[in-house]
Amino acid sequence: MEDLKTYADITWCPGCGNFGIFTAVRNAIPLLEEKGIKRNNIVITAGIGCHAKIFDYLNLSGFYGLHGRNSSNSEGIKIANPDLKVINFSGDANGLAEGLAHTMFAAKRNQDITFILHNNSVYALTTGQFSPLAEKGWKGPSTPRGSYEKPFNPMSLMIEAGATFVARGFAGDIKHLTDIIIQGVEHEGFSFIEVLQPAVPYHKWVEYRERVEYLEKEPETHFEAIKAAKEKHKFTLGIFFRTHRPVYHKELYGDHNPITKRLSKETRLEKIRKILESK
Amino acid sequence: MDSDVFTFLVGGKAGEGVKKAGSVAAHIFSSMGRYVFQMDDYMSLIRGGHNFSVVSTSPRWISSHYLKANLVVNFDKRSCETHMNDIAENGIMIFNSDEQELENAIGIPLTSEAEKYPMKNLMFGVGAVAILSATIGFEKDKMNQIIRSEYPRGIEDNISFANTIYDIVSPDCGAKFLLEKGDKKRPIITGNEAISLGAIAGGLNVYYGYPMTPASSILHFLAKEAENFGLAVVHAESEIAVINMAIGSAFTGAKSMVGTSGGGFALMTEGYSLAGITETPLLIILSQRPGPATGVPTYTEQADLSFSLTAGHGDFLRIVASPATVEEAYYLTAEMLNLVWRFQTPGILLTEKHLSESSMTIDIDLEKAKWADQKMHNGGDYKRYLDTADGVSPMLFPPSKEIIKWNSYEHDEFGITTENAEMISFMHDKRNKKLEILVEYLKAHHTVNITRGDNPTNIFTYGSTYMSVLEALKYSKMNHTIIQPIYLNPLPIWELKEFKDQENIVIEQSITGQFATLLKEKAGLKIKTIINQYNGRPFDPIELSNKIKEVL
Repeated sequence: MEDLKTYADITWCPGCGNFGIFTAVRNAIPLLEEKGIKRNNIVITAGIGCHAKIFDYLNLSGFYGLHGRNSSNSEGIKIANPDLKVINFSGDANGLAEGLAHTMFAAKRNQDITFILHNNSVYALTTGQFSPLAEKGWKGPSTPRGSYEKPFNPMSLMIEAGATFVARGFAGDIKHLTDIIIQGVEHEGFSFIEVLQPAVPYHKWVEYRERVEYLEKEPETHFEAIKAAKEKHKFTLGIFFRTHRPVYHKELYGDHNPITKRLSKETRLEKIRKILESK
Repeated sequence: MDSDVFTFLVGGKAGEGVKKAGSVAAHIFSSMGRYVFQMDDYMSLIRGGHNFSVVSTSPRWISSHYLKANLVVNFDKRSCETHMNDIAENGIMIFNSDEQELENAIGIPLTSEAEKYPMKNLMFGVGAVAILSATIGFEKDKMNQIIRSEYPRGIEDNISFANTIYDIVSPDCGAKFLLEKGDKKRPIITGNEAISLGAIAGGLNVYYGYPMTPASSILHFLAKEAENFGLAVVHAESEIAVINMAIGSAFTGAKSMVGTSGGGFALMTEGYSLAGITETPLLIILSQRPGPATGVPTYTEQADLSFSLTAGHGDFLRIVASPATVEEAYYLTAEMLNLVWRFQTPGILLTEKHLSESSMTIDIDLEKAKWADQKMHNGGDYKRYLDTADGVSPMLFPPSKEIIKWNSYEHDEFGITTENAEMISFMHDKRNKKLEILVEYLKAHHTVNITRGDNPTNIFTYGSTYMSVLEALKYSKMNHTIIQPIYLNPLPIWELKEFKDQENIVIEQSITGQFATLLKEKAGLKIKTIINQYNGRPFDPIELSNKIKEVL
């Protein structure tokens, strides 16, 4: 497992939930290889925030993008070369504040990427401001009287947006999380995995451990999935929704690959000549 | 009026086929072997308003429309009022006699004739084509052939209507204008089509866009041709998504391009800077329209020059170039795609509505397009940001057994985030080296168009305004040296030295004279005066030549 680490010093706080996600991803890669998904084809992207440091620590190829924008980078990677398997890391601010539109549209398009949302319900790296998933009343430096906003429900939000695999894991249950990540990456379509992840300066592990529960049964229909997403509390883990519909790049160009099947200059000029003849 | 130029102007409401009539007229002229320049003036609406299309033609190369037309065809009253003074000496105006009465003009009952057919006023465009054909003595069967191929809906009705109108016009002004034949038939394309074809010829793989006039037609053209050329063409949710998708695609080795206008580019600047630090090859087509903000969507201006030269936070190499003609748009787009890959930095092809959406006859040597290529890693351990003598790191794309990390944070050679003081300046120095070799490269290439003349006052201009200047000088038989830098960043100052202490005037479409400022600041040129127009309209050659005479 050590071979998936780079030489970068890890600067997450001791006890950070990000370590659990880091471990689960490193567990998942060799298991995915056993299932035929080559490590060389796996590409990661990250936005900006504590979640994103995983980019420096994981010894995988990828693109370290801007705050909120990396799901667009992920889409661009998949569209240009569909042979690549994209794992997109995001924090809850990265993916649901600055990058909300991009996340929603990636789901709407059913882009074949795996979106892992590190949910610490806070802006950790920028000193504890409230985030899109923070509880109403969260007191941070930008909301000294407590935030006035209700948090999003990421499960129902993403089911409605069009994600075709929607699940929640917990950084404190690495085995369960590893399994969900593997299923998410294997799923053809937009896989959204929310991971509950305590940022220790702001939340305690015990707040999570005391409340975590598991879905007894994977919902079978869209209706059941929405019901579960809305009725179960936000510490409920499991796969909420799984369905199949055509992925974006196949709708766009079928089995083509814009990179590996690109046309030569000669063929292009021949075709341009034909176009000009009709002009 | 320059006797070798003939101009046809057709005006009416949006939805009446004005633009199409202009384009069919252009094809009639090109079928006669003549050169054509077509400018469409339209409002930001779908139905109503006032639109017009001007088509100027000559047996010699022509680089502008003329507002004084020999034949003006108006579908409605508003068009007659608007174009009352746009008739050239010995020119004629033809109007719709079902709408009004008019002296000194020829009335044709367009509405009552069209109402005999189910398509009614949708046929006005065909009527204009018939009027033109009759007045220039273009044979009926040739006209019918063109209508057959250009108006595929209701062919027989269109032909019958056209023949009726042709016969009504003929007794009064049949074959009034006899146009000399030119040497050969040439294709007619718009600037945006040339940009699209240049990109394809240069190796384009993916294109992303969000609709915004005057760049939208690049998105439309490429979307239509995507399957034919094996491209991925995507209309994304915003310009922010557009540029970030394109950057993601470039990471996989795809030759990526995006297109927009000023407002969309404003949204892209965050990603532009991202391309700077990640050393992402990315070509942006920035087609200017009058700003600020929403400005005037369907008209032309050159007021985003300063913005394009400095957009994006932080220090990084930005390549900016602007084509003067439709042909140059083809070659330069391919060359810009090549340059951004060669130097691994973002670049902007700066143009304006006047070039993007005007149509011209072209002589293009397709083979001359550059093919975008990059320095590749050839084995061994890979470092994405390896320092090299010229600052350009070899590239490698996934899937690969090597680890390839592109990073928006300042990074080390491997691509891992750094805050180390030495590494920060080391990486700045590495990226900065690319400017020197870019300048060296440009010194060995054609970077400035110079048309020599013996008048001691030189004219500096850029972008499609160059074509307006050329035509103005041709019209007035003035003989100035015209200097049009193709590259605006880096500005080829080595080519401009000889003009430093001469008398120079600048012609551009910006109220503050952004191009003149650039020339003064970067090339130390003395500028006697600026002729600028900022009403959204391109220069008319006759008006421009008068303005030039005034300042001399």
